[in-house]
Amino acid sequence: MDDLDVHLPGIVAGEPEAFTRWLAGAERSLRQSLRSFASRLDTEALLQETLLRVWQVAPRAVPDGAGNSLLRLGLAIARNLALSGLRRARTDPVAIDVLEREANDTSPFEPALPDPLLRDLIEHCVHRLPRQPALALRLRLETSGSEPDDSLARRAGMKLNTFLQNFGRARKLLAACLAERGLPAGSW
Amino acid sequence: MSSEEILIEAAAAAFRARNPAGEILPSSAWMDLDAEGRVAAHDVAARSRLLEAALDPDGLSSTARAVLLRIAGAGR
Repeated sequence: MDDLDVHLPGIVAGEPEAFTRWLAGAERSLRQSLRSFASRLDTEALLQETLLRVWQVAPRAVPDGAGNSLLRLGLAIARNLALSGLRRARTDPVAIDVLEREANDTSPFEPALPDPLLRDLIEHCVHRLPRQPALALRLRLETSGSEPDDSLARRAGMKLNTFLQNFGRARKLLAACLAERGLPAGSW
Repeated sequence: MSSEEILIEAAAAAFRARNPAGEILPSSAWMDLDAEGRVAAHDVAARSRLLEAALDPDGLSSTARAVLLRIAGAGR
C-alpha cells in the first residue's frame, strides 16, 4: 500500500507541489468515504471543503507511524463536515446515526493513483469522440472546475442543456469505448 | 437525455460557486435533484474524476485542480 505521508514534510513546509502529489493519491478514497451522505449533502462541495481544510491543518498533523496519517485525518475531517452539514440541515438524529454507521461500515480506504495504461486507453477513446461531445469534454477538462457550465456552454456556442447533453454523451461514449477494450466501468 | 439526467451531469461538475464569506455552496442542479438523483450525481462525479485524473499529466482531477487554484489564491 502506498503511504502518502511521504509528501507530508513538503506539505507542512507549504509546498503546493507536495500537496499536488498527495491529492493525486488521496482524492478517490476521500470521495468514496462520503458516498453514504450523497442523498442529503452535495459531496462535491463537501470534498472540496475537506481538501482545503486538510491543507490548512496539515502543519499540525503528527504521523503516528501507521502510514497515511494525513489521509486518515482527511477522512475524519470529511466525516465531521458531513455530520455538521446534516445537523445544520436539521436532519433527524436517527437518520444521522444511520448514515454515520453506513459511513463507518465502508471498507478501509487506500490511496489510489491513476493507471498509465488507463490513460493510454482513454486518450485513444477521446480521439474517437464525435466533434460536439469532444468539445464539451475538452472545455470541462481545460477549465478544471474553475468556470460554471453556462460559461463553458457560451464558449462552445451551445445552449446550456445542449452542452450538458454533449458532455454526458462524451462520458457515456468513453465508458462504452473502455468497456469494449475490456475495462467495464467498475474496473477503473 | 431526460431532464433529470441533465441535472445529474450538471451536479457532477467540479465547479462550485462561493458566497462572499468564501464558503463553497452546493450546486443549484444538485438542489433540484431527488435523493436518488443526488446519489447518481455522486457516482457520475466519481467516475468522471477518475477519467480526468487518468488524462492529467499530474494525475489530478478537476476537483483537485479547483482546490489547488483556491489554495494558490488564498495561501494557508
